[in-house]
Amino acid sequence: MSRNRIVIDVQDVVKTYEERRIHALNGATLQVREGEFVAITGPSGCGKSTLLHLIAALDRPDSGRIIVNGVDLAQMRDLSLYRAHQVGLVFQLHNLLPTLSASANVQLPMYEAELSFWQRRTKAQQLLEAVGLGDRAGTPPTKLSGGERQRVAIARALANDPPILLADEPTGNLDSKAGQMVLELLRSIQEERGVTLVLVSHDLQIAAAAQRIVRMLDGRVVDEGEAPSAAAREAVEEER
Amino acid sequence: MPFFMLIFRNLLRQRVRTLLTAFGISLGITTVIALGVVTDSLRATAQDILKAGGSDFAIAQSGSADITYSTVTEEQLQAVAAYDGVEHATGVLLAVSRLGSNPYFIQLGLDPSDLEYFQVPLLAGRHLAPDAPNEILLGQEAASQLDKKVGDTVELKDRTFTVVGTYRTGNTYEDGGGMLPLATVQEYERKQGLITLIYVKAKPGTDLDALTAQIKDDHPELATLRTLSDYADVDQGLQLMDAANLAISFLAVFIGGIGVMNTMVMSVMERTREFGILRAVGWRPRRVLAMVLGESILLCLIGAVIGSILAVFFTRLILVFPVVRSFLDPQYTPEVFLRGLVVGVAVALLGALYPAIRAVRLAPIQAIRYE
Repeated sequence: MSRNRIVIDVQDVVKTYEERRIHALNGATLQVREGEFVAITGPSGCGKSTLLHLIAALDRPDSGRIIVNGVDLAQMRDLSLYRAHQVGLVFQLHNLLPTLSASANVQLPMYEAELSFWQRRTKAQQLLEAVGLGDRAGTPPTKLSGGERQRVAIARALANDPPILLADEPTGNLDSKAGQMVLELLRSIQEERGVTLVLVSHDLQIAAAAQRIVRMLDGRVVDEGEAPSAAAREAVEEER
Repeated sequence: MPFFMLIFRNLLRQRVRTLLTAFGISLGITTVIALGVVTDSLRATAQDILKAGGSDFAIAQSGSADITYSTVTEEQLQAVAAYDGVEHATGVLLAVSRLGSNPYFIQLGLDPSDLEYFQVPLLAGRHLAPDAPNEILLGQEAASQLDKKVGDTVELKDRTFTVVGTYRTGNTYEDGGGMLPLATVQEYERKQGLITLIYVKAKPGTDLDALTAQIKDDHPELATLRTLSDYADVDQGLQLMDAANLAISFLAVFIGGIGVMNTMVMSVMERTREFGILRAVGWRPRRVLAMVLGESILLCLIGAVIGSILAVFFTRLILVFPVVRSFLDPQYTPEVFLRGLVVGVAVALLGALYPAIRAVRLAPIQAIRYE
C-alpha cells in the first residue's frame, strides 16, 4: 500500500446549524495521505472540530463529499461500523464512562469486533500498558488524573486497530506537562503503528508537532503550511 | 466485561430507583401469580369434586350456574343406576352452612349404604349407621379445625350430631367437610327427593365415552362431568376466575409498563451523553437497543423473582384462615410462575420500547454535547 495514497478526501463540504443561520463549514476541502500526521488549526469557531466530527461520521454534511479509504461516507450503510473499525476518536474531554474501570472503558469499542470477553480484556490490558497505564486497569476514570484519563481515551481509540486516529483538542484540558506527554504518545503511536493522525488544536505549538499544518478560517481551509523540520519541532519542544 | 455485566452494572448505578421499580413490578406479578395459584387450586378442587368417592364421572343438572345449585331427582338417580355399564350410582346432596368458625362447611348427604361404594377410608370410628339420622363423619381437616374426635358432638342447623368417625380421602373438599345421612340433609335443606350430584362407578371394561354419551342422549337435562371442561358447563366460577386473572394480568402489564417506562426514560435521559459516546466509539443502534431492553428485562426479572416469592408467601399466609384451608390446597405449578415471568417480560418490553428507541435515535454528536 502506497504511503502517498489519499485516505481522507474532504471535497467542498458545507455544514450549517440552526436552520442554516450558522455556517460552520463553507466549502472545506482537505486531503490527508496515509500515515500522515496533520494538524488542523485556526481560531475558535473556524469549523475545525466540525470538520473532524464529519470525518468521524458523528454528523453528516449538508453538501460536499467525504471519502475515506475510497468510500464516500454518504454512501456507507452502517456508519457505526465505520466508527468502530476505521477511525479512533480522542476528544478534548476524555468522554470516558465514569462508572466503568479504565479497562472496561477501553473495551467499549471492542463489543463490535466480535472478540470474546477474555480477548477483550487481554487486548485492553495491552493497550493500557502501551499508554503507560498497565497498573491502572481496574481504576475508574474518577480516580485518574487528567493526563491519565486522556491516555485511557487514546487506548480506547486504538481498541479496534483503526487506520485513522482523530484527535479533537486532545491536550486542551491538560496542563502543559500532561499535554506534552499526551502529544508525545499520539506521535509515537502514529510513527510506530503507521496510523494516519489528524489532530485539531488551536494551539500552534501543539500543531507544530505535526508533519503538516492546515489552517482554517470561517469554515474553509485557507492555508496549508509546510511540514516543520525535525529540528524545528525539537526547537518548539525545547521552547515548551 | 461481559455485555450482561455491563447491563447489570447500569442497573446498580441507581440502586434505590432500581429496587423501588422492581418492587412496583413485583406487586403486579404477585397478584398475577397468587391469583393463578388460587385459580389452579380451585380447579384442582373442582377436579376433586368430579372424582369424589373414586367415581369415574359425575352427573349434574345441565346448565346450572354453580354446581351447588344443581338439582337432580332421585328418580333420575335410579334411571342412571339402571344403565348396563353402571356398577353403582351414588346420589349426593351438597349443602354449605356455618359450623363453628367455618361459615362454609361443606356437607355431603349420602345414603349410609352407599359408603361401601363411595370410597371413604376411615381414620377412626365407623361409618354412618342406617337409620341413625344424627350421625356425622368428619373429614380430617374439618375435625382438626373443629378440634373434634370420635364421640364428640357438633351443632349444625340447630341439631346436634355425634361424630362417629373421621376420614381422609385426600380430596380437599371432602376432607374439609363432613358426610351425613342423605335423608337428614334433604330434610334440613328442605330438598326431599332431590340430590345435587350423581357419582357413577362404571363396570370394569365399560366404554365411558359411550356410556356418558348415552346418558346425555337419554337425559338432555343432565350433564355428565368427566373433565374440567365439562365442569365449566355446570359452574361458571372457574371461568370467572380465569377472566379475572386475564384482566388483572393485562392491568399488571399496563401499570407495570408505565412504571418501567418512567424509570427507563429517566435513565436514558440522564445518560444521553453516555449513549452519544457509545455511538461515537462504534456501537451499532441494535447494541444500544439491546442494552436498554436488557436493563429493562433484567429489572423486570428481579421484579418477577420478588413477585414470585411474595406470591408464595401470601398464598401460604391465607391458609391461616380455616375456611380457606377447607377448600383450597395451593397448587404451585410451573405454568403459573411462567405466567408471572411472561407478564414480567411483557412489562419490560412495553416499558422499554419508547426509551430504547429514543436512545437509538440520538445523534452521536448532539448526545455527546448534551449537558
